[in-house]
Amino acid sequence: MADTTVGIPTVSVTVNGVLRRGTPEPRKTLADFLRDDCELTGTHLGCEHGVCGACTIFMDGEAVRSCLVFAVQAEGADITTIEGLSAPDGTLSVVQKAMNEAHGLQCGFCTPGFVVSITALLRDNPDPSDEEIRQGLSGNLCRCTGYQGIIKAVKIAAGQSVDANGKAH
Amino acid sequence: MIPAAFDYKRASSAAEAISLIGEYGEDAKFLAGGHSLLPLMKLRLAQPTVLVDIGKLTDLSYIRDAGDHIAVGALTRHRDVETSDLLKQHAPLLAHTAGEVGDPQVRHRGTIGGSIAHADPASDLPATTLALGATYVLQGPNGTREIAAADFYQGFLTSAMAADELLTEIKVPKMDGAGWSFQKFNRRAQDWAIVGVAAWRRNGDSGVALVNMGNTPILATSVTTALSGGASIAEAAEQAVAEAEPQADLNASIEYRTHLAKVLVRRALEAASS
Amino acid sequence: MTDTLAAPTANTGGARFVGQRVQRREDLRLVTGHGRYTDDVVVPGMLHAAFLRSDIARGVINSIDVSAARQLDGVVAVFTGADFNAEIREHWVDFEGPGGDASPFRVLADTDVRFAGDPIAVVIATSRYIAEDACELIEVDIEPSTPVIGADAALAADAPVVHAGRADNIAGAIPAAADPVLDEIFANAAHVITETIDQNRYLCVPMETRGIVSQWDPFNQELTVHISTQGPHGVRAYIGRALGIPENRIRVIMKDVGGGFGQKMFMIPDEVAVVLAGKRLGRPVKWIEDRRENLMSGLHARDDRMTVSFAVDDTFHILGVKCDLIEDVGSFNAAGSSSIGFVGLLFPGPYKIPRVGFSAKAVFTNTCGRCSYRGPWMMETAAREQMMDIAARRLGIDPLEFRRINVITSAELPYTTAAGLVYDAVSIDGSLEQAVSMVGYEAFRAEQAAARAQGRFIGLGLGLYVEPSGIAMGNMSSEAAIVSISVNGDVTAVMSSGSHGQSLETTVAQVVADRLGVDFERVTVVQGDTAATPFGPGTGGSRSAVILNGAASQASGDVRTKMLEIAAHVLEAATDDLELEAGNISVRGTPSKGISVTEVARIAYLRPQELPPGMSLGLESHARYTPNAPFTFSNSCHACVVEVDAVTGGVKVLRFIVSEDCGVMINPDVVEGQIAGGVVQGIGGVLYEEMAYDMSGNPMNTTFVDYLLPTATEVPIIEYGHIETRSSTNPGGFKGMGEGGAIGSPPAVINAVADASPTSSTGRSSSRCRRRTSAPPSTLLADPAE
Repeated sequence: MADTTVGIPTVSVTVNGVLRRGTPEPRKTLADFLRDDCELTGTHLGCEHGVCGACTIFMDGEAVRSCLVFAVQAEGADITTIEGLSAPDGTLSVVQKAMNEAHGLQCGFCTPGFVVSITALLRDNPDPSDEEIRQGLSGNLCRCTGYQGIIKAVKIAAGQSVDANGKAH
Repeated sequence: MIPAAFDYKRASSAAEAISLIGEYGEDAKFLAGGHSLLPLMKLRLAQPTVLVDIGKLTDLSYIRDAGDHIAVGALTRHRDVETSDLLKQHAPLLAHTAGEVGDPQVRHRGTIGGSIAHADPASDLPATTLALGATYVLQGPNGTREIAAADFYQGFLTSAMAADELLTEIKVPKMDGAGWSFQKFNRRAQDWAIVGVAAWRRNGDSGVALVNMGNTPILATSVTTALSGGASIAEAAEQAVAEAEPQADLNASIEYRTHLAKVLVRRALEAASS
Repeated sequence: MTDTLAAPTANTGGARFVGQRVQRREDLRLVTGHGRYTDDVVVPGMLHAAFLRSDIARGVINSIDVSAARQLDGVVAVFTGADFNAEIREHWVDFEGPGGDASPFRVLADTDVRFAGDPIAVVIATSRYIAEDACELIEVDIEPSTPVIGADAALAADAPVVHAGRADNIAGAIPAAADPVLDEIFANAAHVITETIDQNRYLCVPMETRGIVSQWDPFNQELTVHISTQGPHGVRAYIGRALGIPENRIRVIMKDVGGGFGQKMFMIPDEVAVVLAGKRLGRPVKWIEDRRENLMSGLHARDDRMTVSFAVDDTFHILGVKCDLIEDVGSFNAAGSSSIGFVGLLFPGPYKIPRVGFSAKAVFTNTCGRCSYRGPWMMETAAREQMMDIAARRLGIDPLEFRRINVITSAELPYTTAAGLVYDAVSIDGSLEQAVSMVGYEAFRAEQAAARAQGRFIGLGLGLYVEPSGIAMGNMSSEAAIVSISVNGDVTAVMSSGSHGQSLETTVAQVVADRLGVDFERVTVVQGDTAATPFGPGTGGSRSAVILNGAASQASGDVRTKMLEIAAHVLEAATDDLELEAGNISVRGTPSKGISVTEVARIAYLRPQELPPGMSLGLESHARYTPNAPFTFSNSCHACVVEVDAVTGGVKVLRFIVSEDCGVMINPDVVEGQIAGGVVQGIGGVLYEEMAYDMSGNPMNTTFVDYLLPTATEVPIIEYGHIETRSSTNPGGFKGMGEGGAIGSPPAVINAVADASPTSSTGRSSSRCRRRTSAPPSTLLADPAE
């Protein structure tokens, strides 16, 4: 099994503000480390090969796929998962609230990844155009909603007024 | 979809990384953003025994004005290439291409050096740096050497880089004022190109390279030669596949790829000329 | 756009919540990462399973050597078909009923492999990482032989049989019946138009793959199964029969489920292997299917070919049709996945087609088996709606005009189709006209001509259909609800079937709240646990609005009646004089005289002496409901606008419009969400998705890099029109519509591409959905006719 000349590398990462240390097997993905070792199961695995985006998290401020990062690569990183985006009492973030208002989810499996991607998108571009919204979401797959409610949710979270069909005014 | 087990080494300098790779030999691989390597490992199509993590070599992440060229550190993330003001000014084709790679999450994690070193003919940045006449800086156990992009790509996923060499920098000639275009035909926005074309024109000079039209990114020299000889864009575009060796796959037959390449070269040159 | 508003429901409760865009209560946990999907279930001592699968489509297994795998540290067991296959007693599902055992089945491949992906062995280890490592150490010697790939190969005279012991590769057939009347119609028709239409193989692809955690407790002789399924009761009954465990010793729990779309209707053998392994070892075992497995072996869908002939008179009325359908059902197809019967039954759809001749074959091939994907019978609409356009162009009239001539109008209701189905409460012509009005059909034709003049190619396609929702037959005949109001006046609705994304925790609560006259917030919906809920078939067949909510409505109605009787007794008033609203019962005209629902509940449980003489205690009802017809028909029309790049063949969807009549809408957000999801699955199936096999039987699209799901960048904003024609089959006037989006959109997209194609201006273009073989996207769909 994996070993190194200086022993199994330890990993120290800050997850949702809490320092977590571990000695994951080098091949353990960050997604599995978060789900299994940190017991944060909101980060979902929809494909495990870097396409569906359900495992998207914030790593040092950027939205990245945790299934395509080994936990050992995250040494020293500051990570925020979906669980870190709402308040402990259940109060939703602006994006989470907008997803609820806009019927932006059905089965909910892809939702954590979308919430992270939307949060990143609006942080970098608070008033995105239709095209920018679609580009910003292009790394996340949803099979239930046809993206209609999700796009509408981005507009609501961005403070744009939208009609029933999700068109901004 | 679990990768096979491997040993992990975290390098703290380029020299250490090269030394580690030398120590572990053939089956060791560099790990940067991991976005080319991890999917292959998960499918167990790649089973390196040692990974040398160069992700912490932050001194290889930079975009600098180096006089006649822009120096881009190999570990610069696509997103940083895409948004670099320096590149937007002096090599906008490269910045634009970086913004066409994959999707936001890929661009936040993938690196320009990883993309080039992987030498995937379907990848965008190898073709664009090829079209731009970039030079790659390789560091090995005996020092650094420079190689023209045109001499770098040797076959499918293979390059002139030795196993114990590390790509450290991409030198991109300044192209101020050049017209340029990156044309990418795919089914969905974030997909690999079925066919892609990177092209620029300036003062009678031009560069054109093709994505996914052979085992390597293809420098379409017949197109640029034709243009230099006074051919029209339409005529030059007919030469698009002279250097290409397109393959058939699920997305396109050889005929369709050939057709697309000609169309996209024409569109790219028209856009670069306007 | 809403054309007709539902009339308020008299004497059955108000409509404070039904019809409103009530926000989903599921969302709080799901948007924060606190949902509980199967992979989130962790049990002490849990082991992990991984499967070794065949990479060969057809061949004889000479040997399987698992010794090296068994010796790997962390491996607890390795099982093969020799260990498990004889353990299965009966393998029919409720949907089939006894006799379903006759279909091909085995837990693990033993003597031979029959598709690439066929499970051969299962490794049980302390981690999934180790289990997958061990799979690599299993040595299997397979003698490959030429596989049967594609329906033509399956039907060839000298075709090898996919399933040893069978005479041929026919999984099911409807022979052509002699019909001299129809022959006469065709012989005398002014026009006969014939075309063959293919539909590519595409898949459900729920974002959550399959998953199961099976815990056998040998000391209590009890099995607990967490599973990602559409129907926990079906899982329980199936395991009970298969393994010989009494149903009442099995508890199946379905928490949050990340989509199913038909793929998770029934257990697959892989899941049975996990249960068997756990039972054999006396340890909990988890298996989470990975995406490659889901795409390669998690069951496929579509893959049909249909030849259709229209006989049309000189005023463009369709006089009769003949259809011949071939379905490729793969190797081990799921129960009920062959839709040949439904396709024939439903083919006339929204049109007056007096006579239909139908024949069909379902064939086995050495490919992954077929399952029932969202509108499993939709080849009737896919083929018919393409034929409407093809025929119209050959007849030299506009496809809309041809539809208007043949559509069943509201004035003609009730209408009995050639197959004997009766439409009473539909608005087929209404949805056609609403959709063409929303898209601006006439204006579009002008815009199209102008664009053509500039070398731009835009096109418009329609897809009109009638959806057979609320299918009530066999095990799907009923649903049940246990509705109770507890001591503090809070309402619990325990439902027989649960949601895998359909928002039932919200919509059932809306219906119950209205029936009981209480606030939505006071109603909690319980679902997905066989230990708590009565039997139900699970979600599928667009049934929940009609049948599940029918049950909720009936049980709530019982409780409502009892509440009113108690209140009438206490208030000394007649029940007819009482009003129930917002948690209070008052005497009409005397608002000061009233009693709260909570107070009534307390009387019912705590102060029995205050009840009317002879009345039983409590406020609860267990009702089992079946609608008064086997189908509840909804109807819809899709209109799609595309632009085709005539040079590259690229297609861009510019607009998509859906006019839907699903009767009284419980929650328009949920209705629109269902429409959108289905539409985008249909757009995907036409423009992006295909599961292709090479001639060796290798599946070519086993990752998301090759199997292309539409993303936000490919889909337009979908525009909705609503018509609400009350259904007569159920008390709420509801109709199902969960599948329709995926039924109407494929032909609408294909027709639009054909309409955009440069040759269609000549009136000679046809359209056919072709298999995608390395050609430009649009030419795969639009194909100039001879």
